[in-house]
Amino acid sequence: MLGLMAARQAGLDDPARLRRAECTRRVLSLELNKDRDVERIHGSGINTLDIEPVEGRYMLSGGSDGVIVLYDLENLSRKPSYTCKALFSVGRSHPDVHKFSVETVQWYPHDTGMFTSSSFDKTLKIWDTNVLQPADIFHFEGTVYSHHMSPIATKHCLIAVGTKSPKVQLCDLKSGSSSHILQGHRQEVLAVSWSPRHEYVLATGSADGKVKLWDVRRASGCLSTLDQYNGEKSKASSEAANTAHNGRVNGLCYTNDGLHLLTVGTDDRMRLWNSSTGENTLVNYGKVCNESRKGLKFAISCGCNPEFAFVPYGSTIAVYTVFTGELITMLRGHYSTVNCCVFQPHFQELYSGSKDCNILAWIPAPRDPIPDDTSEKSLPQQHVNPAYEDTWSSSDDEG
Amino acid sequence: MDQRLAELVEELTTSGEPQLEPGRMKELKRICKSSEEHISHAYHLLLTRLREEHAEMRFSAFQVVQELFARSHQFRTLLISNFQEFLELTVGTDHEQPLPPPKEVAQKLRKAAIKAVQDWHEKYGEAYKQLSLGYHFLKQNKKVDFQDVHARTVAERRREEEKQKRLENIYKEKVKRTEKEMEEMSQEIADTLTEMENCFQLLMPDPLNFGMNEIDPELSKQTSANEARPASPFSSQGEFTPSSLGCMDDEQPCCSKDILPVSQCVTADGNEEADEKPEQEELDGGKRSDVRFSGPALDDDDYQTFVRNHGLISHKYTLDLEISTDIKVQENEDNTAIINSVMDAHKLLRNKFWPSVQSWIQLLTRAGVNDDQLRCAIELKNKMETAMKKYKEMDISFKARKRKVMKASDDDDEDEDEDEFVEVPEKEGYEPHIPDHLRKEYGLEPQAPPKAPVAKASTGAAPLSSGTRLRGNEDELDPTCAAATLKLLRDKLPKLPSPHASESATSETANLEDPDSKRRKLEERAKAPLMPFGLDLHYWGEDQPSAGKILKFTSEHRFWAPSEVEEEVENKEITEMLKTRYITFAGKFEPVKHKCRAPMPDGTLCERQDRIKCPFHGKIIPRDDSGIPINAEDRAREEKMKFEKQAAQPEWRDPEFMREIEAATGLDLGSSKSNGKGQKKKGKKQKYPHLTDLKQQANTSRSRLEKKVFNKGAMKRVMKAMNRVDQRKHEKFANQFNYALN
Repeated sequence: MLGLMAARQAGLDDPARLRRAECTRRVLSLELNKDRDVERIHGSGINTLDIEPVEGRYMLSGGSDGVIVLYDLENLSRKPSYTCKALFSVGRSHPDVHKFSVETVQWYPHDTGMFTSSSFDKTLKIWDTNVLQPADIFHFEGTVYSHHMSPIATKHCLIAVGTKSPKVQLCDLKSGSSSHILQGHRQEVLAVSWSPRHEYVLATGSADGKVKLWDVRRASGCLSTLDQYNGEKSKASSEAANTAHNGRVNGLCYTNDGLHLLTVGTDDRMRLWNSSTGENTLVNYGKVCNESRKGLKFAISCGCNPEFAFVPYGSTIAVYTVFTGELITMLRGHYSTVNCCVFQPHFQELYSGSKDCNILAWIPAPRDPIPDDTSEKSLPQQHVNPAYEDTWSSSDDEG
Repeated sequence: MDQRLAELVEELTTSGEPQLEPGRMKELKRICKSSEEHISHAYHLLLTRLREEHAEMRFSAFQVVQELFARSHQFRTLLISNFQEFLELTVGTDHEQPLPPPKEVAQKLRKAAIKAVQDWHEKYGEAYKQLSLGYHFLKQNKKVDFQDVHARTVAERRREEEKQKRLENIYKEKVKRTEKEMEEMSQEIADTLTEMENCFQLLMPDPLNFGMNEIDPELSKQTSANEARPASPFSSQGEFTPSSLGCMDDEQPCCSKDILPVSQCVTADGNEEADEKPEQEELDGGKRSDVRFSGPALDDDDYQTFVRNHGLISHKYTLDLEISTDIKVQENEDNTAIINSVMDAHKLLRNKFWPSVQSWIQLLTRAGVNDDQLRCAIELKNKMETAMKKYKEMDISFKARKRKVMKASDDDDEDEDEDEFVEVPEKEGYEPHIPDHLRKEYGLEPQAPPKAPVAKASTGAAPLSSGTRLRGNEDELDPTCAAATLKLLRDKLPKLPSPHASESATSETANLEDPDSKRRKLEERAKAPLMPFGLDLHYWGEDQPSAGKILKFTSEHRFWAPSEVEEEVENKEITEMLKTRYITFAGKFEPVKHKCRAPMPDGTLCERQDRIKCPFHGKIIPRDDSGIPINAEDRAREEKMKFEKQAAQPEWRDPEFMREIEAATGLDLGSSKSNGKGQKKKGKKQKYPHLTDLKQQANTSRSRLEKKVFNKGAMKRVMKAMNRVDQRKHEKFANQFNYALN
């Protein structure tokens, strides 16, 4: 790091390089840290998490009992140990609480004054953060699995909603009505995601195993349907034509630059697609255990080189490099199925929610102090915590 | 050292003991202490042990883990990094992956693990994040109550509660039923109890009521052996006896007052034995008190003769009255009815009410409700207990009854049976309500009009005079007595001859040959088998002309009649059936006394006790103590067989030789296989002999049956058979629409 800093100072290096190197290092050293805790509010499994993109300070969580909680992630106490406090929560006693499990929460991309939540009670609610009242409620025919708002859109204000019906609905916040219906899927839509590169491009994944890319300006049909065989095999077997996965597709995530799309399906596979051509890049991630019957929320790091994907893998979180498919590590800490994880890009922190009601914060491990001449002094301090000490009995034969 | 570590872990975890062996544990700890490498090695070894599907192994491994966890940071880190799996394996957090059998050890493991997690959390929870997460997970998701010693999860607790509730409901239902039953039955019980109580009163008056004049003469308290008889009347008469004794003491010799009551007692007791002393017969009419006072008077006259008469040596006697507490009620004619009813009531109490009351109390206490009902039931039970105790204390001897039963079966007493039959209707004219026990008494004095009213007056409880009257009766009953013959002559019952009359008639005529024939008859009867009644007996000695003939009705149809109708068909079989009887003769079972005694390979003799043929050693032949056949040809045959057997096995396969070769080459040539079953079993050594054998546990009759029944081949066979049946049906009824479909 010192070398990088020196190079940066000398102007030999691109300033982004230092940042990228440090980011990568930090992501690679993510661990469950005893210094960071998230307050335990939820009484049941956590389905979804979202960190607001403006400051990266506030996090929303939606529980399977319909509760939504807002956390403050910033540690302003100047102490290493910090418990993320819940600023408020939409508890069971709240008059406008979701009746059933909250499947997705998302901040309004440009401001913390508003967030959206969708639930199995067939509604999508637009909340005013400050008064904690729903500003608007959209009702749907079927349960809502997922919704997404474009993070970069400036010309429209559409929320894509994937429900039990195969039609993808687009709700316009400006008019307060669902403006579009995108037809093409055969079964329920489990995941929707707007491209972070093109504001009108939407990707949807459905239980029929297909992933479709849409341009919402052209409502007549989809742009393309992703094909896991890149069109080679589809000639032979028309049935398997144009499917992205052999099972249901329950997770979608664009890379930060929007050039690639990552999908996971219940066939225990993860695939990386070129989002502009719709081509399967054929990166092999191995088996990605996925038994979820609902949408799965996973995250991709930002600003690292290479980029990493954090994917729930049973009760652990698997960390892969996106472009090579290498499994870096498994983050163990949850005691039940992990439902979602979200990456905080500013401090390279990862938050994960699981069925065991825990939200765990994965924080980069602090650098080991470099042993130097003062090691005699610092060594005893290393073992500040008596719990880390060995307690072998002193006598030899005692053992 | 690694080798030793693995050995130690294996030994520790396969001991099957609830506690670890301290010596090995110490060694293990010493090895672990030496380096971190060893700790991680031990961790992996232990984890594999924890993954075994055996609760005892897991438990031991868990104990080792506990020891190391407390000591090494390295070990803690390793374990906590995989804490999920650890919890799954020890606490059984994954319901799809329950703890393995045996169940008790699994429960113990679970308890210990939960306790350990709690302790660790208290001690290290701060430092190890995942540990505290695990603790909270257990606490909040699995809802494990760490205070709860049973370490049950919520689901288990709820199941328990449901069970409890169901039980409660059942109890409630039962209690309701019991209440109803109690309502119905308590009245009955009370009635029975009162009945019994009254009977007791009748049989033995309450000591408080001893002032009454009427005292049951039958009631006697048995005293010690030597003085039993004389004491009885006095003791039964209660408090006034001592005074009378006292007053007698000063003027009369002791022996006299001793003696008299003896004779007095004999008479008063109404014993059926014939009286010996003529002088006492003369005292018939007198009351007992008179007798007592007349006794001394008689003595005064010539007590010397009296002493001699009674075979007494001295006249100086001391009288010891030992009033024993145990009471004996003798059954006789007077109290048969009472005793019968007491017995019935007692039987009813013991067989019917006692168990039901017992069950009520049990049920009510278990249900823990209705203290009113419970109290009621307990009261009833106590009452019944006292009644039954009283009954027991009474110690009623049923001799008379038994004798009577025997008599009834005895052919000698046929006339007496008759006697009973005869008397009843006769008496009915006079006294319709004569109690059973007095029947005999009156039976023979129908022509004594002055006595009838007396008898009537004394039906309830026998008065003092009854004894004397009874004596008179007895005289008449006694065929050797002159009184009896006189009586017989006197009463001439026209329709039904008196038993004595008949007896005397026969005795006079055929008295001499009778005993002989009777004895013969008796012997024959004793020999003859007892057969159940059947048709053959019903038609015994009769000839039935119509038997075995089948009548056929002619057709009543106007024109549609069979060509010829034989109206009567004789069936021999039916005729035979009426006269024959099948008696199966199975013979008698004789237990086998001999043993096979063929020499066994282990040197003992075969212990099988087959009748003819031993399944292992063939026909059973006489053998001597060492198992060698006694007969020469048997011996030769056995030798031959042995030789043949050896010849069948090639020379080089001599088991000894083979074993040697095996030992030398280390190859299994199957020498143990050829050597019978006993060795095969020994050869199959258990891998871990200290652990509970799970296979053994799973080897229930059910599982064995399952293996047989659900065997693939068996299933296939059954399927085939069923298909065949179906097929046949199909072929047979193919033309019918409802079978044609399938």
